[in-house]
Amino acid sequence: MKRISWQTLFTWIMFAFMYFPILVLAFYSFNASRFSAGWEGFSLRWYASMIQDQRILSALQDSLTVAIAAVAVSAVLGTMMAVGLAKFRFPGKSLYRGVSYLPLIVPDIAIAVATLVFLASIGLALSLWTVIAAHIVFCLAYIAIVVSTRLSGLNPHLEEAALDLGANPFQAFMKVLLPEIAPAIVSGCLLAFVLSMDDFLISSFTAGGGATTLPMEIFSRVRTGVKPDMNALSVVLILASGALAFASEYIRYRSEQRRLGQ
Amino acid sequence: MAVSPSSASTPVQTSSPSIANRLSRLVQPLLLLAPAGVWLLLLLVIPTLMILNISLIPGLRPGEIPGAYGLGNFLRIFDPINLRVMGRSLYFAIGTTIICLLLGFPVAYWIALLSPPRWRNLLLVAFVLPLWTSSLLRDYAWITILRPTGVLNSLLGAIGLPPQSLLNTGTAVIIGLSYSFLPYMVLILYASLEKLDRRLLEAAADLGANARQAFLKVTVPQTLPGIAAGSLLVFIISLGDFIAPELLGGASSMTIARLIYNQFLGATRNWGFGSALSMILILAVSLAIALLLKYGDRDIESY
Amino acid sequence: MNAPSRSPSSRRRFLQFSAAALSGVALANCRPQIADPGGNSGGSGSQNSLSIYSWSNYFDDELLSSFTAETGIRIVADVFDSNEAMLARVQAGGGAAYSIIYPSDYMVQQMIELDLLTELDKSRLEGLDRLLDQWQNPVYDPNNAHSVPTTWGTTGLVFSRSRLNPAPADWDFLWEQQSQLNGRLTLFNDVREVMGAVLKSLGFSYNSTDPAQIEAAYNRLRELKPAIASFTTDGWRDQIVTGDLLVAMGYSSDAIDLATEAPDIEYVIPASGSSLWTDTMVIPKTAPNPEGAYAWMNFLLKPENAARAVERLKFATPNQAAIDLLSPELRNNKNLFPPAEVLAKCEGIAPVGAATELYDRYWTQITSA
Repeated sequence: MKRISWQTLFTWIMFAFMYFPILVLAFYSFNASRFSAGWEGFSLRWYASMIQDQRILSALQDSLTVAIAAVAVSAVLGTMMAVGLAKFRFPGKSLYRGVSYLPLIVPDIAIAVATLVFLASIGLALSLWTVIAAHIVFCLAYIAIVVSTRLSGLNPHLEEAALDLGANPFQAFMKVLLPEIAPAIVSGCLLAFVLSMDDFLISSFTAGGGATTLPMEIFSRVRTGVKPDMNALSVVLILASGALAFASEYIRYRSEQRRLGQ
Repeated sequence: MAVSPSSASTPVQTSSPSIANRLSRLVQPLLLLAPAGVWLLLLLVIPTLMILNISLIPGLRPGEIPGAYGLGNFLRIFDPINLRVMGRSLYFAIGTTIICLLLGFPVAYWIALLSPPRWRNLLLVAFVLPLWTSSLLRDYAWITILRPTGVLNSLLGAIGLPPQSLLNTGTAVIIGLSYSFLPYMVLILYASLEKLDRRLLEAAADLGANARQAFLKVTVPQTLPGIAAGSLLVFIISLGDFIAPELLGGASSMTIARLIYNQFLGATRNWGFGSALSMILILAVSLAIALLLKYGDRDIESY
Repeated sequence: MNAPSRSPSSRRRFLQFSAAALSGVALANCRPQIADPGGNSGGSGSQNSLSIYSWSNYFDDELLSSFTAETGIRIVADVFDSNEAMLARVQAGGGAAYSIIYPSDYMVQQMIELDLLTELDKSRLEGLDRLLDQWQNPVYDPNNAHSVPTTWGTTGLVFSRSRLNPAPADWDFLWEQQSQLNGRLTLFNDVREVMGAVLKSLGFSYNSTDPAQIEAAYNRLRELKPAIASFTTDGWRDQIVTGDLLVAMGYSSDAIDLATEAPDIEYVIPASGSSLWTDTMVIPKTAPNPEGAYAWMNFLLKPENAARAVERLKFATPNQAAIDLLSPELRNNKNLFPPAEVLAKCEGIAPVGAATELYDRYWTQITSA
């Protein structure tokens, strides 16, 4: 009994450790003081100033544009890649698969540097589009991984049966395979979306022409002295990503229930 | 396009595969795999080869005429000062890995084996939830906590302890890194512990092993692949992390990632040297991955 | 390393390709037609929007909105925190959208040498004759052919009067009080400013090219290293108010601005001298909207606009007509417009030619140690 309580206690301390920094940010976001030092009374002024801050809003808009565009393209390409890898054998397949894992493994800073050098070499001016192109690389990889995992657990004969029954490959894909892997696609997209919204390095190496993503804006503010509206922004973002996390878990849970139900 | 003729022929169902069918068998994989493949080739493989290329041009700076090829950039890495930067990066990465393992194992163990089964998933999700928040903001939160007049020192002062000056030190970097990557460790250890064969534990107990012996002789060996996978993952991501050293480390925590950043977007603008450093970083990570694939748990791929 | 050498011809072509392309990164910027479609989400080559790349403290919403009200041009502003970081981004191809950049004096010279700047059409600028004499023909850009000086100031030490005793008066203070400052001092993230300040503390020039002097400065800076919390150009503001920092190296404009919010904060120009910097407006060769750029320059050359910006943002202006419009209180602020005998000891940062390499190497060593 004593042993268990030691471990339980430790785990709860670790839970507190995980949430402590977030609570600190939340606490200061309601602090009236300009310099988040002492407590000077409850206030919502930082939330108000955040909402009116044009730079934050336009950075948020850029970030959402990048994340949505990159995820949309990657959802299609990544799913196609996962399906292709699951269905076909061809020479160089393991090389292809290996390359598709690279974005998960190679440190962001190296990818960022390489992309910058490449873009500079071909003489392409940096803009929001180059950020999107660079984000597709890793979004693609993450979505493909998540979909691959689901595909490997599927009955391969389902699609064949559909083909035998006279469906063309496209119909077989849309009617049989897609519904099966849809939850995986969605949770892969959510993961990619969050990673894209969070990415600082790759964006800051590939952004130009006035494009500034939210992490870039946050980074420059954190470095140049933060006003408490950063705290307010943190709280809003944390709530939003918490909601996304739960949505993703819920989708996973539902799909697992369905899989078990089959 | 090429798919439709083959689909038109399917209702007829001739026994011999038509040319169109054979064509579609060739076209299909191409259609599915080529777009992503081209994208990865263009924006990942070629760029990586390019930095390998320019890493072999000593002192290449944008706007200057490139000099002759040579190994100067790689030799420069062996300058004592740069070796020190590498050593520091390794120290941060290894320190973070050890701390994450020490803190993460009991948590994963408790969630996987000791907590009420119906709460397990929820507890796990709750523990890794902070992973979904912005990594910049998590490190920013630690600035607020660790700075001289910050939360930590207010708390220490309140209970009569002397203030600590942690911000802008290596300790702060390790705290930030450990906090950021602990959830990964817990996730992987949990997956490994969940599969633990409990009958072995019971057998060990029947044979007279005490809890400590059972833990060391049964639990740890069984979860070793998970421990290896988790450790290597944390090692790799903390080795390449830029944000925590940059925001929490101050003037005395130059790491390889920060050094690379400075060669491109900072004051020194030495692309050749920066590329060489990137290649070294990629090499280090590949080595770690090779070790992982050789000794680690295959299940790592599912993360 | 083996594989590429097997096919030397294709390897060479690949190398040539990327090396040539690299050396032509500046050329890459000469292709606004590529940059435009993505550059502004508002549409290609939009004449209604003007992108500015500037130091963080040179504009506020009021300045931007009054410009928009007058000209109908919307401003998109990005900020940098050192000349080198700005140049790095411009050379990496990230500068093609900007029609106005704010480099400092020595960087103007460097950018002219790199052929990045447009020669200004003086007939389209009004009020250059109102500039003070010393900015009529600056060394970094003879006759202001490529740049319009817009602000100037000094570099000095910022501190909180109530927390620091004695108060700093010269650079030497940092070494004398090193134990007190331990970990509570920031210097710029800027090689020339920091090395220059240390050179000055040794009695040398801010722009020394003598290797022995530079090495002496490096060694002295190394002594100070344990006391330095971080290298940051403008990240010290909040921390000095809360007391996390005791002394920060700061620009006069930032310090005077902060002092109006937090009266306890003081600024001092070190007695042995410091840097006297000029920030300018330039039009890069790749500017998508030169019309807008000239409009912005003319807007800020107008005395009343310049004066209003100075009153809010607290930088010194080289525009005599604008100075005349300032409130006496501001005009007589010794930190904003230091007396001539103080300025006489200050130097403008000038390019150091071949010594740049040496500066960079020592800087890397200091920041990596």
